[in-house]
Amino acid sequence: MSDIAAPSPRLRYRRAFRISVLLLAFVLIVPLVPYGLAATGVQLTNPGADLWREVRQRVQPYEATTQVKDIDGAALINTWGETWREFRSDRLVPIGGGILLGTLGLIAAFYLIRGRIRIEGGRSGELVPRFSVNQRVVHWFAAGLFVILGLTGLVLLYGRYVLIPLLGPEGFSATAAACKEVHNLFGPIFPFAIVGLMVLFGRGNRFRWLDVKWFIKAGGLFGHRIADSGYYNGGQKTWFWMTVLFGLLISISGLVLDFPLFGQGRELMAAAHVVHAVIAVVFIAASLGHIYIGTLGMEGASESMTRGYVDGNWAKEHHNLWYAEMEKAGMVGVDENALEEVRRHDDIDFRGFGSPLPKGGDTGH
Amino acid sequence: MARMKFFCDAERCIECNGCVTACKNVNEVPWGINRRRVVTINDGKPGERSLSVACMHCSDAPCMAVCPVDCFYQTADGLVLHDKDICIGCGYCFYACPFGAPQFPTEGAFGSRGKMDKCTFCAGGPEADGSAEERRKYGANRLAEGKLPACAEMCATKALLAGDADVVADIYRERVAYRGAAGMQRGWGVAYGKPGVQAGKDMKGKAAGKD
Repeated sequence: MSDIAAPSPRLRYRRAFRISVLLLAFVLIVPLVPYGLAATGVQLTNPGADLWREVRQRVQPYEATTQVKDIDGAALINTWGETWREFRSDRLVPIGGGILLGTLGLIAAFYLIRGRIRIEGGRSGELVPRFSVNQRVVHWFAAGLFVILGLTGLVLLYGRYVLIPLLGPEGFSATAAACKEVHNLFGPIFPFAIVGLMVLFGRGNRFRWLDVKWFIKAGGLFGHRIADSGYYNGGQKTWFWMTVLFGLLISISGLVLDFPLFGQGRELMAAAHVVHAVIAVVFIAASLGHIYIGTLGMEGASESMTRGYVDGNWAKEHHNLWYAEMEKAGMVGVDENALEEVRRHDDIDFRGFGSPLPKGGDTGH
Repeated sequence: MARMKFFCDAERCIECNGCVTACKNVNEVPWGINRRRVVTINDGKPGERSLSVACMHCSDAPCMAVCPVDCFYQTADGLVLHDKDICIGCGYCFYACPFGAPQFPTEGAFGSRGKMDKCTFCAGGPEADGSAEERRKYGANRLAEGKLPACAEMCATKALLAGDADVVADIYRERVAYRGAAGMQRGWGVAYGKPGVQAGKDMKGKAAGKD
């Protein structure tokens, strides 16, 4: 009986050994089962993590619903807002400020070095008609709007950094509120001013090879050389097309921002703001150059847009080809008060409200 | 000082909108302004989740950074509040906020939005605590009375937690430990033949996914 009931020590050791080997194998292999399962493709990741990762993506493949009727109400999280805020605060404000102050500095340096561009031959006293009444009215309408919109816009962009220290929070809040209202009320009128400028100043503004040569000579800036130019020179044509392009883009983006009634979401408004603000900064910087030339920078230029006439010698020096055409048509030395005579002159093609250009097209050959 | 935070437990939210109703009632929020909203993901499908969203009172708030008139301020509790007297209603805070928390009372032409309104963590505004002026402009100031925001207090399942961030974190940690790994997979692990880790035998409650 003893060999059945009580196994011999050798048997016992063997059994114990086998059991321990099995136990050891079990303890070592079972923790590896999940890896094995993963290798066979069984889903072991947390589906919750996948869902919340999707939620945080900017594009929303998941379906979300909400009971509120807001436009973006169903969006749980939208990271474009921070991208926009970072662009505005950390890039637009400092870089835009650099562009504007840099432009002012360049203009100041130019004035100090080159001085006012004088009429070399002195004033001849003979007047040449340059801009019609309609042209001048539309120009000043657009210019006035531009200055108002530009200044109010700059207050909204830079006021927090520049004006709060000066006016205090409540004072600046009142200023900014007023600027916002003025900007938003006058803004929608600007597209009409741009269209007016396009219609009345378009003729004669097409680029020619002449203008490339004008640019190469830097408009006759250095060394008293005359660069050939028609009614408009290359620089003016550049400014015209900048005005048209920037003006249209700013108008469209401004209208998107000013009338948030048509289901614009946050992303569209932020994008429109980027377009609007970047173009505005560049437009204002370029306009500083235009304003400088038209006022301080060049003798004899401002009267073209105030009185509508320019001096003969000024025209000869800066728009020589146009001057030659006008001389041929007998338009040099006209009496300012005889405007009606001028209008009825057959050789001058006013085309209703166009530029005083001789018939046959613009002179920029 | 305690840093105040919201936390919405997506595993518990049942989309009852009690938080929304409580907020609107306690703060007398006008029509059309939604300080708090409940967003449901994958409504009707397995793995449906709901979250209650309002102002998250960010540590580095984008609304505060972008405001052109600098009308936001951060309290010692870490709450992001704003001054409606300074606000000009430009809408930039709404573009910047990832959660869409700022709300505007007027929808009009020429960008006339009115003063921005948002969740204040029931902490009112810059006026004197509990004054009529503060109540009219910002709603209830429960924090000054030693209470927590109405939305969290009213939550039916205690999904929405609000208060000291450390305390909220402790509560949530306890829940996570109780639910275990299967807790995250309620509804995914067993329905419609989808593979997944099954809940343990002894696991109880909704989190076990046995419903």
